[in-house]
Amino acid sequence: MSSPPDSKRPAGAVLETWNRRLHYYLGLYFLLFIWLFAFTGLLLNHPRWSLARIPNDSNPAYERTIDPPRGGTDLDRARDVMRQLGLAGEIDWPQASQATGRLDFNIASPKQATQVRVDLARQHVTVQQIDRSLGSGLRIMHTFTGWRYTSAGTSRDWIVTSVWVVAMDALAAGLLVMVIGSYYMWWRLKRMRTAGSVALAAGWASCALFVYGFGFGG
Amino acid sequence: MTKTSGEKALYRWTRDFHLCLGLFVSPFVIAFAVSVFFLNHAKVDPAASSSVVTIRDVTIPPGLDVARGREAADRARELVNQAGLTGEIGFVRYVRREQHVVIPVSKPGLEATVDVDLERRVAVVSRRPTGVLESVAYLHKMPGPHNADLRGNWFWIRMWRWLADGTVYLLLFISATGVYLWFAIKAERRIGMALLAAGGLCFAGFVYVLAA
Repeated sequence: MSSPPDSKRPAGAVLETWNRRLHYYLGLYFLLFIWLFAFTGLLLNHPRWSLARIPNDSNPAYERTIDPPRGGTDLDRARDVMRQLGLAGEIDWPQASQATGRLDFNIASPKQATQVRVDLARQHVTVQQIDRSLGSGLRIMHTFTGWRYTSAGTSRDWIVTSVWVVAMDALAAGLLVMVIGSYYMWWRLKRMRTAGSVALAAGWASCALFVYGFGFGG
Repeated sequence: MTKTSGEKALYRWTRDFHLCLGLFVSPFVIAFAVSVFFLNHAKVDPAASSSVVTIRDVTIPPGLDVARGREAADRARELVNQAGLTGEIGFVRYVRREQHVVIPVSKPGLEATVDVDLERRVAVVSRRPTGVLESVAYLHKMPGPHNADLRGNWFWIRMWRWLADGTVYLLLFISATGVYLWFAIKAERRIGMALLAAGGLCFAGFVYVLAA
């Protein structure tokens, strides 16, 4: 039996139907993303698990002669060096300031970590790379934001990172919509109000204890 | 095709567990989701709004200068207690030339550093209170993959590790039961399949570009 069109139903019933649909539509769309962040979150929490280890064995370094890097800033020059070498990823600057006549930087992506050391006077570059397995790459995706909130100088400079960050934000927003929608669905189920209240109160109390409780004193 | 009473009972029990466990874990999901925005977009000046207090005549635990890893954290705990601090101790740095030990301490709501002059027995304690969002982001990252030998040297971070793991296991259970509950609604199968496929394609695209 098909249900009547939305225009002929009371607003409350339409809201209820679409809230329920939105809950599982979002859940189904984001299912693999949720599983990715759940599994890799476990691995990040347990670095001693054999699955969690990320090998750091680098390939043999190689050297190239390049054209003088073009650009007015170190970032522009680094991008030009990457273009000449056919490398892609998020540029990560070493903490120490650049020595005269050098352009040293790292390139990060979940599948590869690269050190680039440029001797500007000799137009000579040394490249050291670490290739990651798919499993390691998936784990690195969890934390790959191109952003450190405590470092003033960091910014994203790879379009792929920016798109990935939008995907992470969308997942977070989707989860929030699902949770808020689930509160409404639960409240409409009178039979489950008591049990749900206990579960919700226990969840909020334990979460608030960690966020606020241990901030007191010291 | 009509459902048997066993199937109906399974559906009802699954739905009730999905609901109750989902409600329990929802504050943690909110905390993890909200902190994503902070971790992806916020900027914090770690040097700002620090208070600095000097404590004299501190008792230096024996062997602090030679201890490494978890042992160093355990010995540093005595100094942290004398400074009136509680929290997770980070990587303890011994600066031999200056005879100083630098102890980072953190917990939700606070980041602190205890800089101890071993010869003069003076500790300088710098505190930076952190806001709610930064506290939640801190928990999101804890205990994390780094300094595996050290992490969990504060009881409440060990407890948090359990809760963070529990959140993951519950999320996996809720997502699996959610798929079952959706699949039981025949009218929604087609559009659900389409969304599952669209999400899968999007996911595969990201994995291909970023990690494969």
